[in-house]
Amino acid sequence: MNERNERIFGVSCTFRRPSDVYRAAEEVRDAGWTRWDVHTPYPIHGLDQAMGLPRSSLPRLTLLGGVTGFIIGCLLTWYMNSYDYPLIVGGKPFWSVIYPFPVLYECTILFAAFGTFFGQFVFNRLPRHHHPLFDLPQFARVSDDTFMVVLEARDPQFRLDDARGFLQSLGGQEITVIRD
Amino acid sequence: MTSLPSAHPVTSRWKAFLAVGVVALAVSWGFAAQGLSAHEHRPALSVLVGGLFWTSVLIGMLMLTMITRVFDAGWAPVIRRSWELALPGLPTVLALSVLPLALIPGFRHLLWEWTDAHHVLPSGHEVGHDPILQSKAWFLNGPFFLTRVVLYVVFFGVLVWALRRGSIAQDSDRTAGHTHRLHAVSAAGIPLSAVMLTMLAFDCLMALSYHWFSTMYGVWFFALSIRLALAVTVLVTYFLSRGGWLDGILNQAHRHVLGCLCLAFTVFWAYISFSQYFLIYTANIPEETFWYNIRELDPVTGAKNQWWGVSMYLIFGFFVLPFLALLFYRTKILAGRLASVAAVILVGGLVDLWFNAVPRQITTPGAPEGFTVTPFLSSGLALDLLAVIGFGALVVGLLLRGASRHETIPVHDPRILESIHYHE
Repeated sequence: MNERNERIFGVSCTFRRPSDVYRAAEEVRDAGWTRWDVHTPYPIHGLDQAMGLPRSSLPRLTLLGGVTGFIIGCLLTWYMNSYDYPLIVGGKPFWSVIYPFPVLYECTILFAAFGTFFGQFVFNRLPRHHHPLFDLPQFARVSDDTFMVVLEARDPQFRLDDARGFLQSLGGQEITVIRD
Repeated sequence: MTSLPSAHPVTSRWKAFLAVGVVALAVSWGFAAQGLSAHEHRPALSVLVGGLFWTSVLIGMLMLTMITRVFDAGWAPVIRRSWELALPGLPTVLALSVLPLALIPGFRHLLWEWTDAHHVLPSGHEVGHDPILQSKAWFLNGPFFLTRVVLYVVFFGVLVWALRRGSIAQDSDRTAGHTHRLHAVSAAGIPLSAVMLTMLAFDCLMALSYHWFSTMYGVWFFALSIRLALAVTVLVTYFLSRGGWLDGILNQAHRHVLGCLCLAFTVFWAYISFSQYFLIYTANIPEETFWYNIRELDPVTGAKNQWWGVSMYLIFGFFVLPFLALLFYRTKILAGRLASVAAVILVGGLVDLWFNAVPRQITTPGAPEGFTVTPFLSSGLALDLLAVIGFGALVVGLLLRGASRHETIPVHDPRILESIHYHE
């Protein structure tokens, strides 16, 4: 069983109506699954709660990036205008927080954007050029008129036969084992 | 939806609020009249500060009403009615503060020194011979000034009346036509109001120190107005969702929207306020820098004065603290936390008005520079608070009075269900 699990990505099933997949998501959530996903042709309001997804922690990376950018901006302007090549401009101090504020501000924004942009690559495990689901013929219909629930083999409670039976009990159709 | 709005016990308190407002304003005006005979401008300035604080709140609510109408904001209708019910306070507050202060010559000469040709400047010259005033006289002249002040009351009065009347008429005749018509009224009203609130800020605040000028002053006043309006909206909806007419209606997503807007306009206010300072600091032209100098330094010793502490409070108490607090999602959705931040913003807004309205060069013949600067700490602060409370009680009284006579949410607005079921 364990040897087979290594080659199995997971088990999928399809639903025809959003209300069905919504209810199925709630049941999978309540059964304690952590490694699973729902695929829908369009965003379904409230599905995040039905799946029990927590809020993304990406904003933390944004904040971290912003703070880093502010500090880098301070060091940049201080090093250039006050330390390496002290220059009097308009009778202002060599360095204060006022005159380079546009620079500090822009560095904050830039690095906050970096934190967000590259952070989402990390969190989404991108770049990734292929995914086992792409081999599934019915996955193409998920961008048209079909809703899909996928239980992944990575989940600690994954047992192939149990997972199949569970999806069947949820009313899922076309239950398919996905090879990795 | 068929129950009468008078079912809400909170609306029956409108008479009490109006009574508090009338008494507090009578006392404020009494002190102002006493100041007039003693030739003291500070008590009259308190009436102006109190009036402008609530003018600012209500102009912000007016802009939010029109902006949410123009953008067909789905979240807004349940909250918008509370704005519409409060809006009659705008012409009322203006008519009880700025209008009489400008129309009565004694008060006008005390507050707006340029209207008094015989007022002696720190340089020893009279205002009437001031070349700076002469070159600005096309705008800063008595008749035009008074015309503008009357125009503010009439313009905002008519706009508020139109926005409110159509919205309330929809409750009974149930036609979507009102929504389309008010969409058009708002589209026209936004640019007109932008011009009006800019001139209002020029006349009522910038012209208190008529040598000084800042072309972004109107934008600063707009940013402050929206911040204060949002803070008052958060507090009002907080109380109304605990035993008022928004009980069971206001949800987490509504708070989240208000919280996000609070964050956005906190940043916008800081951006505008800093940019104004930054340009004047960088250009370093004496005819502009004196305005910030008297707000930081003692003119004789060059040491920091009380206003320096006030400006530090603006940076850290009115920007950094609300900004950092509002970055967090939980601050925006938890009612108690959001209301606390709104209270901080409300206090900061008053401090910002103080910073802009109160410091002035008072001609003092014996002083080395010919003038002294109004201190921050004085008995005037108590009078300011009295006027703020007076006008505030008046505005809340008018809001509750409106709520006792009309529906408290727009029950037949085409987007009312979308608004009630609004989610993130």
